[in-house]
Amino acid sequence: MKKFQVSMLACVLSVTAVLAGCGGSKEAAGSNNQAGGSSAPQGQTASAGKPVEIDFWYALGGKNGEYIEKMVKDFNASHKDIVVKPSYQGNYYENHSKVLAAVTAGNQPDVTMVEVGSIGAFADAKVLEDLGPYANGAEKQKYIPGLLGNSYWKDKLYAVPFNRSTPLLYVNRDMLKAAGLDPNGPKSWEELRQFSEALTKKDGGKTSQYGFSTAIDIWFYEALVLQSGGTILTDDNKQLAINNEAGKAPLQFWTSMLKEGVMKAPPGEKYNAWDVAKQDFLNEKVAMIFSSTGDLRGLKEGAKFEVGAAFMPANKSYGAPTGGANLVMLAKSSDDEKKAAWEFMQWMTDTKQTIPFSLESGYMPVTAEAVESDEMKQAYEKEPNFEVAVKQLEYASPRPMVPGYKELQEVIMTEIQRAVLGQASVDEAIQRADEKAQKLLKK
Amino acid sequence: MMQAGRIAWKTVEWVLLAAVGLVFLFPFLWMFLTAFKTMPEVYQFPPTWWPESWQFENFRIAWNSGPFPTYVMNSIFVAGGILILQFLIAVPAAYAFARYRFAGRGWLFGLTLIALMIPGQVIFLPVYVEMSHWGLVNTLWSLILPFGASAFGIFLLRQSFMQVPDEVIEAARLDDASEWKIMWTIMVPMAKPVLVTFGLFSFIYHWNDYFWPLIMTNSDSVRTLPIGISMLKAAEGGKQWNVIMAGNMILVLPILVVFFFAQRHIISAFVYQSK
Repeated sequence: MKKFQVSMLACVLSVTAVLAGCGGSKEAAGSNNQAGGSSAPQGQTASAGKPVEIDFWYALGGKNGEYIEKMVKDFNASHKDIVVKPSYQGNYYENHSKVLAAVTAGNQPDVTMVEVGSIGAFADAKVLEDLGPYANGAEKQKYIPGLLGNSYWKDKLYAVPFNRSTPLLYVNRDMLKAAGLDPNGPKSWEELRQFSEALTKKDGGKTSQYGFSTAIDIWFYEALVLQSGGTILTDDNKQLAINNEAGKAPLQFWTSMLKEGVMKAPPGEKYNAWDVAKQDFLNEKVAMIFSSTGDLRGLKEGAKFEVGAAFMPANKSYGAPTGGANLVMLAKSSDDEKKAAWEFMQWMTDTKQTIPFSLESGYMPVTAEAVESDEMKQAYEKEPNFEVAVKQLEYASPRPMVPGYKELQEVIMTEIQRAVLGQASVDEAIQRADEKAQKLLKK
Repeated sequence: MMQAGRIAWKTVEWVLLAAVGLVFLFPFLWMFLTAFKTMPEVYQFPPTWWPESWQFENFRIAWNSGPFPTYVMNSIFVAGGILILQFLIAVPAAYAFARYRFAGRGWLFGLTLIALMIPGQVIFLPVYVEMSHWGLVNTLWSLILPFGASAFGIFLLRQSFMQVPDEVIEAARLDDASEWKIMWTIMVPMAKPVLVTFGLFSFIYHWNDYFWPLIMTNSDSVRTLPIGISMLKAAEGGKQWNVIMAGNMILVLPILVVFFFAQRHIISAFVYQSK
């Protein structure tokens, strides 16, 4: 008898262990009611007189996250019929996984931020609400055209621009002046090379100061391809379009500068390499770097010299991708929630909100009206560096946004890094990226 | 002669131990020093060792960036709750596996080992859907219940229960002790070092866990410390490493204190295992 009891006990317990491994124990069901009481109500529908509650998930930490919380508070204070509940959900990619899980489970938010390159994947999965009927084409007047590229998927509007950035060239003006160079920075690739040569210093056999440094990152590669008159994907989004002169030019440019010893490729994976470049810049170990608009404030505060922001130099033309995130509405929300969500998305990206958000965060203002406003003009006069990104938008292109690009960009990044490190020739690297892309883009 | 050789050997041993110790200690030291620096000093090159002036301000900024008292309470409740639940389930399970022959024992133990090998990321979606189905998403329960039964704990405790001499249990049975009593008053005290070690591993793992609480919760009122710390980090733009490190200090301090007091048991657990 005792043996039987024990074997039952072991049986129950080990099954529990397995269940826990694969998904919560059975006992949990018992405590459902008790714990359910403390769970926050999700997606309430509006009954007469009651405000509509909507959930908003954002993916920015630090001061920018705090500022977003403040904006939501202001919205709630000025809209009696809507209550927005903001919630931080980690970085862009953590937020993406969580949104997809939540959609499966049916407790998704009503509005969320999505990184611009991933909007195609979300729209393709039918997770997003088509915003066309809400906007009725008004988005074309409201937002800066250069920022709208990543809002459409298959000719339908799925997102509005929110916190948007673009890569820039940052220069140490003091160093440029000391070397007798134009303190506004180089205008073309050739000038970038000449500046770098003039700014590189050698102590004995060792380089004590490099002219130029950039993380070998997909974002900057995209920029240089655009500057060379190319695109990353073909117009129909079905093929990689870098197996040509425009796709190879950036790598040839970087490798030749590295060989010459006037450029530094900072070590580190992904954003670590960016951090190394920024740190070298602040410590005056390099004179010029590529980095995001979002870094302007941080670099200015950290530098003991005059920081200048400039267009990324041109090859055939100027050019840059944009980055950051857009706001989207989830298709699964109820009609009441969607109405409230649209109101909220509109408000968050209105001129009145985008100006202080831009000045506070360093992201670009998103409305055409904001750029023309007196407030912004005054701010630009005081700090002309802030205007550079907006001006560069004239030459900006959207990031590729086909569903497969999320993985493809990692493939391209690996290959271009191999080329830059000399582990493969430029032709080989591009060829390999092209072959791998065939599989990823077929889906 | 013998004496000199022994001293030389001891010296080599100490130098090696100190070198290894430094490798482990350095990141903590660097975190500690960075937490007290100013922003320009963090980026300075060559880096300074000692902060030019000690910035206690960083801790205040980190602590005030969110509802940190709530995060701390939640972290204690979650890590502690998991620990208690794991003990309540792992001790009887391990006792049964270690001390009884019954039909399907090998098979069930095999299942437990399989549970040990499934990584959390693989199952996060089904668990999330399950928790959501029960209305537990965004509650502290969803952070505790999925970890209640620890396959690792069952496995570790079973090994240690198997090392308890048969005579001890026989003697207890002769004295008419119930199985329940044998388990809690004889087996558990004899396995104390292993229990402490397992408890520590479990506590630290769940104290530091970031992904699970982030996925399961939406409101600050049910979130834990690691999420609060990650909110200090900006996605683009300059990261305030000094404030982030101050936040990390707040995160690791309780663990260091626990380690300090449990050190004796950890050492004896490993000595015991290798005997």
